[in-house]
Formats: sequence, structure tokens, C-alpha cells
Amino acid sequence: MPSPLPASLKDPSTLFYQSHAVKRSVITSYWIIILFSIPLWWYTTSIQRLSLPEARIYSYAQRHLKIPVEICVEDDGVAPKLQDIFASRLSHESERWGDVEPHFHGRSHCPDTPSYRVRNGPKPYVRENEIYLPLYDQHRLSSTFDVLADLINPCREATNHNNRVVQFSPQYRLAFTLLNEDAAMGSSVSNWDIQAGLADRIKPILNQLRPLHNFTIESQVQYHGRLAFSPQTNDESHGLTPEDLTVFINSAEWSLSSSASNDPVIHFVLFIPSTAHRPLHILTSGGNISPSKSFLLPQWGSITIHNPPIDDAGRNNDLASQINDQIFHEFSRQLLSLLGVPSLPNGVEHHASDSTILSRWQIDALKRRRAVENTKGAQETLMSIVRLVNQIDNMPVKDDVKGDVQGALDALEKTFSAKSLQDIFKSSAEATTLASRAFFNPGMLALLYFPAEHKYAVYTPLFASAVIPLFVAALKEIAAWRRERREGIERERQ
Amino acid sequence: MRLALGWFLLSTLFVSGYALSSETFSESLKITPLPDGRVSTTFSFNTVLEGASPRDPCSLTSQDASQHYILFPLTLGQILREYAVTELHLSLNAGSWNYERWGYPEEKGVGTGAELWAWMGVDESKSVDDRWKGLRNALAGLFCASLGSLDEQRTTSPDRVFFPQGRLPKWSGNVAHQLRHASLPSEHVCTENLTPFLKLLPCKSLSGIASLLNPHRVFDADWHGMGVHVLWLGEAGVQVRLTFQSVMDPLRSSRNFLRNWSLQSLFGHSIERNCPAASSSAIHVTFSSTENPTLTPQPQTRSSTEVRYDVLNVEKPLDIAMQWRDEFKYPSIFKSSLPISVTRNLRGFTQASGKLSLILKNHRSTPQQLIYLETMPWFIQFYLHTLHARIEGHIRDDIISDISYNAAVAHSRPTTFQAVLRLPPNSVTHLTMDLDKAFLRYTEHPPDAQRGWDLPPAVLIPLNFDPNDNNSSHILNESRLGEPIYTSTLLVDVATPDFSMPYNVIIFTCSLVAFIFGSVFNLLTRKFVVLHLDPNRQNN
Repeated sequence: MPSPLPASLKDPSTLFYQSHAVKRSVITSYWIIILFSIPLWWYTTSIQRLSLPEARIYSYAQRHLKIPVEICVEDDGVAPKLQDIFASRLSHESERWGDVEPHFHGRSHCPDTPSYRVRNGPKPYVRENEIYLPLYDQHRLSSTFDVLADLINPCREATNHNNRVVQFSPQYRLAFTLLNEDAAMGSSVSNWDIQAGLADRIKPILNQLRPLHNFTIESQVQYHGRLAFSPQTNDESHGLTPEDLTVFINSAEWSLSSSASNDPVIHFVLFIPSTAHRPLHILTSGGNISPSKSFLLPQWGSITIHNPPIDDAGRNNDLASQINDQIFHEFSRQLLSLLGVPSLPNGVEHHASDSTILSRWQIDALKRRRAVENTKGAQETLMSIVRLVNQIDNMPVKDDVKGDVQGALDALEKTFSAKSLQDIFKSSAEATTLASRAFFNPGMLALLYFPAEHKYAVYTPLFASAVIPLFVAALKEIAAWRRERREGIERERQ
Repeated sequence: MRLALGWFLLSTLFVSGYALSSETFSESLKITPLPDGRVSTTFSFNTVLEGASPRDPCSLTSQDASQHYILFPLTLGQILREYAVTELHLSLNAGSWNYERWGYPEEKGVGTGAELWAWMGVDESKSVDDRWKGLRNALAGLFCASLGSLDEQRTTSPDRVFFPQGRLPKWSGNVAHQLRHASLPSEHVCTENLTPFLKLLPCKSLSGIASLLNPHRVFDADWHGMGVHVLWLGEAGVQVRLTFQSVMDPLRSSRNFLRNWSLQSLFGHSIERNCPAASSSAIHVTFSSTENPTLTPQPQTRSSTEVRYDVLNVEKPLDIAMQWRDEFKYPSIFKSSLPISVTRNLRGFTQASGKLSLILKNHRSTPQQLIYLETMPWFIQFYLHTLHARIEGHIRDDIISDISYNAAVAHSRPTTFQAVLRLPPNSVTHLTMDLDKAFLRYTEHPPDAQRGWDLPPAVLIPLNFDPNDNNSSHILNESRLGEPIYTSTLLVDVATPDFSMPYNVIIFTCSLVAFIFGSVFNLLTRKFVVLHLDPNRQNN
């Protein structure tokens, strides 16, 4: 038996905090605090990754846009024949007719608001939404169908080089530049009549294309635009080889457009060679002088070369109004080609009551083409977002990205359900704009450069040293508790 | 008949309408030998867009009209339209202008580093601050300068000092105008800023006077700076003035201590050909009437102190040269042409506090009034009650008046301090004010934090004396303002952490926390028992 303590000392087992209950509650309260703070810690350190509507994206990505075209034929008998020709063409031109589906109706079965009307006429011409074609010549019915087909759904190969057309954007900036290679050498062009050129040649086209795009225009005159290479010299003339054309733009020295907005820019450059390089011609790959005075850089813009006569006094003159008009006519052709406006099939004329340049058929064909492109673009972009987010675990997905994705899906839904061509086009444009805005959202890159390993490197020094005593104390207490229980049971047995 | 004539006149007007250019471009270069043997050169390129007016901020919501320019720089013009800027002044300077020796500069804005100020109309749809932000970012992109960092922490509105230099349009709806000003003294000016600057000129640097702007030479100068100034001249239109100033030292490369210079020796180029866009192109050379240097070639117009060359009508290549017969004698005293001179210092050696000190000398025998502007980043905090002006050691209360003070807001707004000072004749005034240097956050330090922070220059504007009114300091109008004097910049040393050790700090703190936690936890859970030692065994 241990001897009792001296009176001056207190037995530690009688202190209140030495009781088992208090000690155990101290340990458990530590553990409770830790367990409760884990969700808070998790919440404050995790990246916000909202779930994207993946199922909906997958289902919409698989859908295929098929734009119906209702055609009303004047004669009841011809309509089924045209439909038959279409059916036979569909079998071996399935790729061409993947996105557009024409329906030919006779006069009696005509829907209330058909897209187009086909009437009989000796020579083919279009007016508004009507076309006059020789309908009753049975042998020419096949070529009649070809004319219609080219109007409704121009062959991609015919409009040539798909990649020449600029990417779709609701807003473009057209930048016109009169670029003198070296005006200080004289005989250059000091000014042009941009207002007249735009009013006569460009603005009528832009007005007609307004349902598809908005345009802002800017122009400038530059007096010095050195070439980055020296053109080939043959006797009296100078030439640009096809290789030279690809490096023609000296973007380091020419500031051809302002950077006031992020809209894509289409450039139109009138290049006046210096007297040392005049006359300057475009050469064919064989080295001969090409009759063409202008060339087109795909998706960038067009360049026209003009060789004014050499002024004896060496003065710089304004551009003669006739040449000014020619040049802007050339610009307008290039603009149509860059925007992908199809031309009318051979032999078809455009009769208009007012002096509009483009027929409704051309604009409609462009709308259909852009709608199909936009829908495909939006579908692909949405799929890329899903793949990217699934691939990279640290990529945050915030409300704005989710909202844009939702918006793009809603717009796609509208595209598939819309009836009129203008509605289909509008909602497809909205879908592709929203989808690419979501894809390029800068917030998605925020934490890519701060991986989870860094977090652990910061936390381990604290957690390892603090948690070990907690674990040891908890294990000890559990062991003590079990021993006590066992002893209690044995005592009871005795 | 009369009708036909009228029709003819009308049609000729219509046809030749575009040919009558509504834009004019003129260029000039002013060369001045300075008293200390250096040569000051000032290029000025002026483009006027006749009949144009700044964009009404109320029209910002609708699409802007197309811009068609011939000589006016398109890239700058679009920025001005996009943010509806009425007046804009940007200067990028390297080195500090020595007013004592060089007198007033041709172009007033010579504060070290970058300085940008703009007057903009107020409109609810797009606030002035948003447009100011867009403007400085656009200019940063255009000039390849760090103007984007002229953020809210550096933007002030000292409208007693920076009056509009052109006119402000009166739009319908009584649109008010507001000033935004910011400076970045640590900006370095170099070739990457000059290249975009030259691209704004119609003739770039390929013909005319601008062909002299050779980056190898102008950035070798003792002082150099460029400026962009956009003003509205009222009916006359919008003016863009691009300026380039430099102070070069011909004595540095001279063997016989003669101050001779030529365009070739200063710029490494002579003018080979005219700029076809320039309506006038002139070189002015000034000299003091007591000296009589020889100038080649013979100038067209000559007065006692200035000659003028009309570059458009001079035989090319043009290489103007000035030659002296006598050796240059360095003057022992510089006779200042300025009414006052100023020295500004930051005193105190600690990283927590200091004292701003200005020494102002009035050289004139008449009292001199001036406006004093001090803009400081928020981490320099003034104690306004310690602001004292002393003359010969005595505190004088009558010197400082009309104080306007916008206190700084930590981490956001800078300090703006404006006051009117009245200096007695032939006096030396000491101005002192205590200040605190705030403790910056870890992320607020600039790269190379140990170097310290550059503080913007103070601006002093002498007021023209108005004999009719004794106490006219309240009426601060533009006509009374003299030319501004920029003080040198200051470098302040604020407390900087050791950036290389954040991880060590984390480890150290964690260990300490873990140690304290462990001891407390142990104390709370330890079991104390009484040990009984056997006394018999102890005795053995």
C-alpha cells in the first residue's frame, strides 16, 4: 500500500481536469472542431466548377441542321418531275444536299408563304423571289433543275476555295488604304474620292448584306509603304511572282487598320508603286504578265495595283474619277468574294425594279451557308468545351461560362425549331458567338498554373506536426478506455 | 444662261470637293544652342483636321460615323473617337530637364517618365473613368508603353493646374468636362516608343524633317522626350501635334572644344527630300545676338536672333551647319531666365517616415505667386499640420494659402495637394512637411522592389503678377498661368519583405504554431500521478 501524501501536497487525481471525462471531452472537442472545419476548408480552397449540361450538349451536337426550301412551281405537272430529278441527284450528290432540302410544290398544293416561285419564261432571270425558266421543254428540264440547284445551294467547289471566305462575325471592320510605295519620288496619288467610291460601289452591297453583318468603315492615305522585298525587273516593267504575292504585306511597317475594336478587319489596299518600280505587274507562275491587276489574300483582304502615268513635273495627283470607280468596282467584287456571296449561275440575269446589285436568291443562299457553318461551329465548340473541362481537373467553370453555354444551347434549339430562314440564321449566329465567348473566357485559365501539389506543400508542415499528437492522444485514450472496460468486466465476473 | 453657269459652278465644286483637302500637315524643327554648350532640338509635326469636332459623349451608345483620313493618323483618330476624348496630352521623357541651365523648354511637358492627361465630356452611358481606363490601355498598346499601369492608384484630377489648352465644345444638354491626369515616373523611353510614334506621321521617317529622327542618335542625347497633343481649335478643327525634343552635346565628340554642329553630326542624316504631304516645312535656328556663329547654307530669312530655312524650297540634300570661331568657355554662373528655381528632396532615413522638403528661390525683386501641385501615390501620407514655410529659419504663415487637399485612400486613391505660394522678393523659402511611408502588401510591390518607388514630379506654375488686384489669388484663370516647372522625381525606399523566402516563412510559422499547439494540447490531456519512491531502496 502506498503511504498517504503529506498534507501540504494535493493528490493530482482529485484535480477536476484530471478526471477521465474531462480529458476525453477535451480530445473529442478537438476532433469535432477538425471534422467540422474540413467542409469549410474544402469550400474555401476548392475551385468553382459548375457542372455543364453535358447530356444536352451531346444530344444537340448530334443533331443535323437541314434547312427546308419550299418552291412553288407554276405548273402542277412539272413539280413532281423536278422532285424526281432531285431524288435521283440526291443519291449521287448526297454530300452537297446534306444541309438543304428543297420541296417542289405544284400551284394547287402551294404553301401560303413559299420561299420561291418558279414561273415560265423563255430566258432565265430572277426577280425578287421569283425565277422565270423555260418549264415546258421536257428535254431541258434537267438543266432547269441545275439552274435552280445552283441558285438554292451553290456548289462549294464552284464558289471556290472555302478558306478564302472570312470567318463569320456579326460585325466587320472594312479598312480601305491608299498606299503609295514612295510618294516622295513624285508621280504618286495624293488623294482619292473615297466617299464617291463607297457610295457608288460598296454601300449598296453593305446595305443588302445588313441582315447578315454590320460593317464599320475606315480609310486612310499613306505616303510611304516600302515593300519588304524587291520585285523582279524585266527591261521596262517590274513583276510580282506568285511567291512575292504571299509576302506582299509588310505588316511591320504598314499600319493598315486601327485597333480600336476586336472586330475582324477586311483590308482593301490600293497600292501605287514608286516610280522606280513602275509599271508593276502581277506575273503568272509561268513568268508572263497576268491581265489581272488585283489579288486576294484569303481571309485578309484584297490588294489592287494601279500604275498611274509618270508626271513630267513629278507632282502627286489625285486619282482620276474614272479610275477611282474602276478600283472601287474591283474592291466590291473582292468584298463579295471574301464574304462568300455566291454569284448567279451562268445565263441567269437579275432583273430588279430598283438598282439592287444582289438578288434575294444570292443573299438567301449565303444565309443558308452561314447558318449551316455557324451551327456546326457552335456544336464543335461546345463539344470542345466539354472535352477540355473533363480533361483538366483544375479548370474553373464559373457562372458566366455556364450561362454562355446555356445560351448557346438555347440558341441552337431555336435554330433547329425556327421556320423562317432569317430566324434560323440569326439564332445560329447567336449560338456560335456565345459558344466561342464561353470557350475563350479568360476565367477558365485562372488556376492552371497553381496545381494542387503547391497546396499540399504549404499545408503539410502545419498539419503533420499538429495532427500527430492528436492521433496519439486519441489512440491512447481509446486503449485506456478498452482496458478499463475489460478490467470492469473481469471485476464483475469475480 | 445664269442657271447654266450656276449649275456648272456647282458641279465643279462637287467634283473637286474631295480634292480640296480638309487636312493640313506642317512640320518644323527648332534648333537652339544652349548656354552650357549643348544644343536643344524640338521637332513639331502638326496635323489639323479642319472643320472636325471631338465626339459628343452622348453619341457613344450609337455607332460612330466612318472615319476617312488622308493625313490625320487613323490609329490615333479611332482611339480618340472610341473614347470621346476632347483633349489629350501624352508625354514620354527620359532624364530631367535642367531649367537652371536650359531655361524653359519649347514643349512644356518635360516631367520625367510618362505623363498623360485628358479632358473628357461627362455622360451617364459611359463614365469618364471607364473611358479613361480604355484610353490609357489603347494608348499603351499604340505606343508600346506601360501606360496601362496608370490606374486609379495614380489618377488624379488637378484642374487648377492643367487647364485645357484648346477649346472645349459646348454640346447640347450642357455636357460638363472632367480632367484625368496620371504620371508614371519610372517609365523608360526608348526605340520601341519612337517606332509607333513615327508611324503616326504621314511621311514616317522616310522623307522631310522627320527623316532626321534617327533612334541611334536621338536616344543617345542627354535628354530626350516625345509628346502627343490633341486639341480642339474650335471652328478650325482638331489638331494633333506630335513633338520630339532632345538636348544633345556637340562638345562631347568635339576635339578642339568648339561647339560646332551640323544636322549630320547631330542626327547622322541630312534631309534628302521633301515630305510630299507637308504644306510647310521649316527649320528655325536661334542664337544669342552677342555671339556671331557662321551658318551654312545661307538661310532665306534672317533676324538678329533667329534664321529660318524653308525646307520645301531649298536645294537637297540639306545639311545645316553652325560654326564658331572661338573655343567654348564654360560659364561660371548660369543666369537663370526663370523667375524661380526649386529643389525638392525627401529627407529621413527610416522606412517608416520621412520629410518632404522644397527649397524655392525667388530671383526677382518683385513678390512672386505660384501654384504648387503635389500628387503622391497613396503610400506616401502627408501630415498637413506639419506643413511649414520658413524664411531664414522663421516660420512664415503668409506664404501658403488656398490649400486644396484630397487625402489618399489606402490601396486606391492618390494624394492631390494644391496650394498657392507667395514668395517675397529675392528670398529663399524652405517648405517642409512630415510624411509616413505606408507598409505595402506583398503583391503590391513592383518588380525589383529593392530599388524603391519613383515618385512623380511636383509641378509649380508661376502666376503672372496682376498689379490691379492685390489679393487675386482666388481668381485662378488660365490667362494668369505662366509656364509650368516640373521638379525632378524622387525615389522613396519603402519597407520591402524578403521575397525569396515565403516558403521558409510558411515553414517557420507552421513549426511555431505546431509547437504551441502541441504544448497546450499536452498540458490539457496529460495525466498527472504521484510517484511513491521506496525510502528503503533510496537509502541503499
